[in-house]
Amino acid sequence: MVRIKHRYLLVNILYPDAKHSQLAPAKKSGDNVPYTVQFRRPSPDQMNGGLLMRLIRDGVVELFGDHGSGKIAGSLQVKYFSSATSTAIIRVSREHYRLVWSALTFTTRLPRPVDQPCVIQVVRVSGTIRKAEEEAIRRARLSIRRAEAAAKSASVSIAGTASTTPTAVAAGEDDFDMINGIEDPDEPGDMDDDDDG
Amino acid sequence: MAPLRPPPPLNNSKKRKEAPTNSQPNAPKRHKPTDHGQKTRDARTLSTQTTSKAFKNGELDVSAFVKSRAFEITALEEGMARSKKALNRRAFQQVPKELRRRTASHNVKRVPKRLRERGKREMADDNTPTVTARRRKPTAHMRLRLETVKKLRALGAKRNAGKDRVKPPVADPNGAAPKNPADSAPDQQQPVKTLAAIKARTPKVKQSLLATPPLPKAKFRKRQIHKSWLPTHLFHAKRARMTAPSASLWRFSIPLTPTAKSYRPTHRASHARGAVAWDMSYISTLQVEGREASLIGMLKALGVDEEELVGRQGGKWRQGRRVLEKFVFEREAPHDPIAPVTMMWCRDPAEQSAGTVEMEKRKRKLLLRVHPSAFYQLWEELLRLAKVAKPAVSVEDLRFEIGSLEITGPGGTEALLSALWPSHPIPGPLAKGDTAPTAMDIDSGSSNKNTVVEETWSALAGLTNPAVLPKNALLSFNVQDPRLHHPPRTIKLPRTETEQHKLLELIASWPVDTVQQHPELFDRKARQAASAKMPSQKAVNRRKGLAAPGEYPEPLPNDPQIPVLLYTTAPTNPDRGAPGRQSPKAGSWTLLVPWKCLQPIWYSLMYYPLSTGQQPRFGGLDQYRQSSFEAGKAWFPGDYPGTKAGWEWEYAERRKREAEWRKRPKGKRVNYKKVEVGEGGRGEVGVGWGCDWERLVGGPPVSHEGVEAAADAEKSGKSGDKSAKGVKTKAQEESQEPPQQAPPKLPHLTQLPARQALALLATPPTTTIKLPPHIHLPSALITIRLTLLTRGVPQPCARIYRLPSSTANPELRRQWLALLSSNTRNHTQKHGGKHAHPRNLPKTGHGLPQHVVQQRLAQSLLEPARAGEETYPACPGEEDLVGFVTTGSYDLAAGFGTGIGSLLVERVMGREEAGERHLCVVRNSGTGVARLGRWEVI
Repeated sequence: MVRIKHRYLLVNILYPDAKHSQLAPAKKSGDNVPYTVQFRRPSPDQMNGGLLMRLIRDGVVELFGDHGSGKIAGSLQVKYFSSATSTAIIRVSREHYRLVWSALTFTTRLPRPVDQPCVIQVVRVSGTIRKAEEEAIRRARLSIRRAEAAAKSASVSIAGTASTTPTAVAAGEDDFDMINGIEDPDEPGDMDDDDDG
Repeated sequence: MAPLRPPPPLNNSKKRKEAPTNSQPNAPKRHKPTDHGQKTRDARTLSTQTTSKAFKNGELDVSAFVKSRAFEITALEEGMARSKKALNRRAFQQVPKELRRRTASHNVKRVPKRLRERGKREMADDNTPTVTARRRKPTAHMRLRLETVKKLRALGAKRNAGKDRVKPPVADPNGAAPKNPADSAPDQQQPVKTLAAIKARTPKVKQSLLATPPLPKAKFRKRQIHKSWLPTHLFHAKRARMTAPSASLWRFSIPLTPTAKSYRPTHRASHARGAVAWDMSYISTLQVEGREASLIGMLKALGVDEEELVGRQGGKWRQGRRVLEKFVFEREAPHDPIAPVTMMWCRDPAEQSAGTVEMEKRKRKLLLRVHPSAFYQLWEELLRLAKVAKPAVSVEDLRFEIGSLEITGPGGTEALLSALWPSHPIPGPLAKGDTAPTAMDIDSGSSNKNTVVEETWSALAGLTNPAVLPKNALLSFNVQDPRLHHPPRTIKLPRTETEQHKLLELIASWPVDTVQQHPELFDRKARQAASAKMPSQKAVNRRKGLAAPGEYPEPLPNDPQIPVLLYTTAPTNPDRGAPGRQSPKAGSWTLLVPWKCLQPIWYSLMYYPLSTGQQPRFGGLDQYRQSSFEAGKAWFPGDYPGTKAGWEWEYAERRKREAEWRKRPKGKRVNYKKVEVGEGGRGEVGVGWGCDWERLVGGPPVSHEGVEAAADAEKSGKSGDKSAKGVKTKAQEESQEPPQQAPPKLPHLTQLPARQALALLATPPTTTIKLPPHIHLPSALITIRLTLLTRGVPQPCARIYRLPSSTANPELRRQWLALLSSNTRNHTQKHGGKHAHPRNLPKTGHGLPQHVVQQRLAQSLLEPARAGEETYPACPGEEDLVGFVTTGSYDLAAGFGTGIGSLLVERVMGREEAGERHLCVVRNSGTGVARLGRWEVI
């Protein structure tokens, strides 16, 4: 039997620039919120699957015109969107997932009711939703760990007020992530973390 | 995410009320269409949190961040587990296609082994109540049996205890004696020696006596009081629906149909791929022994055509190289038909050497096989003939001595080859056992010719249709115990072209015909020796255990040599006139073996892994009837109502159908009194649940005053009186009389053989027909095959009418003939069922040219009437009733409905007018729609 083949894109919405956020980040109360948490902050409540859908369609129309939009129209579906974690799983047909990907990549702002600068990162393309879900779980674990580590180091630095070496190292790591923009390049260390978790 | 639904259409926007329609869009539906996808969709939706959950007092916070991620992780994991479960099917839903669902689906043992563990687990999860054999409450019948067993055990224990008590005192007085070998040995040996010297007199075989079934094991004896079991009863009883204990068929317990679904699989296995086997041990075997001339005289007296018996045509048959199947008749004046009989001669070893005088004098054996329903009739007839035959002829009943099986399908030969290993080792790679002395001692004669049959048999690997062999070819040889080679392995089949060419050459030359080998199956001693020598399963297992791994045990000189006789049955008439029957008809093998040797052969056949995959299937009686129906052959006794056996069968069927009919509530059964039978007439012709031959021959109840009909009525006990009152009285009568008692056959009702029927039909109506004086033409039946020309499927009991004559009802006749003109299933245009003709307006594609559109329009206007329309012709009246369909259904081989039935020959003779060869109108019992059909004699 012929099976309709799909691709599932696991997508993270990132908010790199904290200044433009409508929500007041806990900046004033000292920098106790680590950057990794700010970076992958929750999306505003207006942001939902339908808006994401519109965003992609508009992006594809802009980039590829009616042709591209028609190609993806039949199969595009937002399978999962969690605004609390800014994670989404998007389904497209296997032939045209690149159109969607590029539209996502070129997005710099969330559309009208939200209207917030963002970066949308496609972190995984898989043939089954199951693998996308597994990857989402892995990444959630990773970010939990990272946030906890960052929070610990921050609290230590506040308490000590002196920059001891371990905190500096931790802050440096955090900074490195932040500077790099790519939050977790696929390294063997990550895989080990995943296995442990 | 989900697309927005359009708002429901406003109902009240219109001022004017719409006319009530059948499908009101907003009317509350009584049944909501079940959305089967909903469950899956629900299982697949993942739960999400709102953003506020990820904030702490509207601010970013690490712990809230962590919590929201943790929630996501659990949501995704749960979602994966849920969607997996939603797609999951239970073990009971995954059984193979052919297994029936829902039969004991609470029983884990009903699912295939690989699913059993899972099924068990699922049942434990669901807390489904299960019953094990140990804990089942015995049925009332079973409880009685268990009590008896208990009592018997107690008795046996008592007796054994008593024995033990008695023994010691007997042994004590001379307790030392048996231990002294010097004393006892000579004493004991002396009598043994003398005993060995005296040969026990072999019991004289009582001839002309009915055989008694073999004494079953004590365990099974009570179940076989009024019937006997086939040798493979235990196999079938586990896997097939058997005849009910109270209603055995022909005093046998016969498998009716496998428990697994099998209508289509049987058709496939017998035509396309695989094999179907039947245990046909219930077919009766008789042996007649005497001089050739007297035996042939006997057959002549039974009504077999002389040219078949003597002369060149029957030459090979008389030498015992072919099989002959003929219909036999009673010898006395009405010459009632008995049954088709298969006859085979015992080949004589010294045929050429003896002089002509000797040849005439020597005694020969003839084996007759007949269906058990006609056995007794034939037996009586043979005994009567044997008494008057000179020189004497002896008749012997071999019913429970020779068992048989039949196998058909492309893989049949292959399966048989793996089961039947010739006893004579074949020279060549298998020649190891050549030195075994007894193997050669059995058959005296030229040694090189000894193994021709065996070699030929082994060389038949690769044959897919036994009908390719010479027609009715016969093979006889000895085989080894198949249990030694169990489980069977797939045999080597010819792959190369040269090998296949060799096979073709072998079939063309057929060297078996040149061999003078005495078939040992005819020899009672050989049969008994083979049966007696069969080792126990334990012994076989021991030998198999001693054999090297992967090897079969070596043949031993003491092994039984099972005499077998194999013959092919090819379809009798070649393809002729039956449209849509392009594929060559498959032949079948029939195997005759001693009764007790059949079971191991059966098991070897059933577990043979076919080269095309799967194993041979087994069939029951229903499958046998199906296969002969698909081959276009009439099945004895069901399709021969002119014979005594067929009449009884028809009566039993009628009773069964009537019971079915009566069982249903009045509102849900066909009201036969109100069936429109054409031309404004109401009420089914005769009884609706049977082929009412009495009515057909005797005419409607009005003509009952006729002298002959009245006489018939008196004779037969109940006649054509089938009015409503008649039915009632009949029912009352039947409730009083014993149910199995069939009324005697209509006098003079007879079945004409095909040749005679064709001759009668060919004679022009003007010439007077020369008939044998005994044939009463008004009640002579012919067997026909029927194909419907337009649509429809004939069912059993369907009424067959001739076309109304051009003088009596020219209009109706013209209407029927109009159907024929364009709407027939001819070869160029295959029968297309529902959509054969454009019913509604033609498809007007944009690309179609104008003339095609017009053509189609014209065609649709000219199209003949369809059933249900006003112009559709009505069924002819009862004066045109000519016969009934005895077997009818959708024919998987032909691709449309066909039927087999019988006609009164007098009513169709000389009625043929130009261009309407053998046309008829068929109406199923209880329906008002008649269909146009064409029949042919078979």
